[in-house]
Amino acid sequence: MNPDLKKNYKANILVVDDTPANLRLLVGMLTENGYKVRPVMDGELALTGAKAIPPDLILLDINMPKMNGYEVCEKLKENELTREIPVIFISALDDVLDKVKAFQVGGVDYVTKPFQVEEVLMRVETHLAIRQLEKNLITKNQDLEMTVQQLQNTQEQLIQSEKMAALGQLVAGIAHEINTPLGAIRSSVENIADFLKENLLQFPDFFNSLMPEYQQYFWEILHRSSEQKNSLSSKEKRQLKKSLIKELEAKEISNADTIADTLVDLGIYDRISSLVPLFQDEKGSQILEKAYQIASIQKSTDTIRTATEKAAKVVFALKNYARYDHTGEKVRSQIPEGIDTVLTLYNNQLKHGIEVTKDYEPNLPSLLCYPDELNQVWTNLIHNAIQAMDYKGHLAINITHQGDSLLVSITDSGKGIPPDIMPRIFEPFFTTKPPGEGSGLGLDIVQKIIQKHDGKIFAESVPGKTTFNVNLPLNPNS
Amino acid sequence: MSKAAILCVDDEVVVLNSLKIQLKREFGDAYVYEVAESADEALEIIDELQSEETDILVIVSDWLMPGIKGDEFLIRVHEKYPKIIKVMLTGQADETAIQRAKEKAALHNCLYKPWSSQELIATIKSGLEGL
Repeated sequence: MNPDLKKNYKANILVVDDTPANLRLLVGMLTENGYKVRPVMDGELALTGAKAIPPDLILLDINMPKMNGYEVCEKLKENELTREIPVIFISALDDVLDKVKAFQVGGVDYVTKPFQVEEVLMRVETHLAIRQLEKNLITKNQDLEMTVQQLQNTQEQLIQSEKMAALGQLVAGIAHEINTPLGAIRSSVENIADFLKENLLQFPDFFNSLMPEYQQYFWEILHRSSEQKNSLSSKEKRQLKKSLIKELEAKEISNADTIADTLVDLGIYDRISSLVPLFQDEKGSQILEKAYQIASIQKSTDTIRTATEKAAKVVFALKNYARYDHTGEKVRSQIPEGIDTVLTLYNNQLKHGIEVTKDYEPNLPSLLCYPDELNQVWTNLIHNAIQAMDYKGHLAINITHQGDSLLVSITDSGKGIPPDIMPRIFEPFFTTKPPGEGSGLGLDIVQKIIQKHDGKIFAESVPGKTTFNVNLPLNPNS
Repeated sequence: MSKAAILCVDDEVVVLNSLKIQLKREFGDAYVYEVAESADEALEIIDELQSEETDILVIVSDWLMPGIKGDEFLIRVHEKYPKIIKVMLTGQADETAIQRAKEKAALHNCLYKPWSSQELIATIKSGLEGL
């Protein structure tokens, strides 16, 4: 349908002139030189033709009846489809004002009648070339814009995946932090349920069948067990058990090891002379065993309480960590809260040989900030510190109020950052970790978040002492 | 003749308390129950029991602990005492660690927290049957 699609000509030129002789001349000249030419006799036709099939260039006569060349040009420039087409005016006039007007309405050049063939061809060729360059430039710009957009998307994805990676590492540890108390709760509940099932009905009979003196022993054991609040280490308990065994064996009590073990579980570590007659009695073991079962109910409820508190603390920290302000606006927040949240989540990595000292200046003012983003900062810095120390050493966190800003310093006792690496640590994609372990974006993101708060971050390091200082202004510019 | 021992290792005292209650409830005074809060302490106990000529039949060990991790600990034990039945109890499934323990410590079973008394007892019993 469209013959223009088969391009065996240099360019498509629309020639507008109301003088047939001129028109013929131009058409002949341009066709001879390999252009496809569409001649039209007036402005209206020129506009319709240009809109229908936009030409590469328009040669436009100025002096025409009804609509003159300037008007045609103005209309071309108003239309999206024809705006970019270069227009060269044809003029019989040699008036300076007219030339100026020709440029004002959007023409790129003009030729004067009578034509000099070479000149017209030269100007046409030049403007076609310029137009072509312009088109290339536009395409290139579009490509570039697209590339920049893709890069921005990629960067956002990377930041997101870095955040998820940090969270992923945390989650593994947190699973342990929550499953451990859950395990203790579950087994305690089973223990209580088993005890009730086995003993509830028989217990009154058992107790009533005891002679008053045995009842006395029974209460004494339970009483001493319930008042025992010391939490001894397993090592200490083992030592106490050994001395109890010796003491019992000296009294020629059989089964000394079982009795001693039960006593230690009951929290009875010494002063057992009053109980010795019981253990020498044949009913002694049974009474001790019953008392132990009841005491273990108490122990189980204590375990449930402790474990629940622990799990709740972890969940609370998780909730805080992910605190997200949906308005996307800054909110007032206490910096120590955010840091403590992160420390709670890292508890299982810290307790394995890292001593944490916190020195927070009292009565610190709150900060208008993006709390979840700052949490990401503390997570990154603390995670790096833990890794730098290889999970052993000293982590110090100081927060001070300095003039109109807060200074957070996170110091680790790790091997330090070598001076040749120091200038590069904030570079995106720079990492000293083995492939797959770090994206190299951590500190880059940290820096971006801090800049978003108009703050500054700087590091200082010597072997055994590396500090990251984060300065956050209380009254950010934005 | 001294009784054989079952040893539990976990850095959380609440877990040790719970394990001991569960074991005692099931096995009563048939065994001696020892607990350790770290692998280092457990290794100490093992040597001590050995010097007292007390056999250790079963070790139930956490994986994520301060110092030596569960898999490493069980591998060390296995090198010296291949007959001890080794059970891992973990709140965090580190598959490579479990695999390593299976290959290098002949891990009898791995239990996941929160565990049930039933599965703990069944695991230990099935281990003891194999002796």
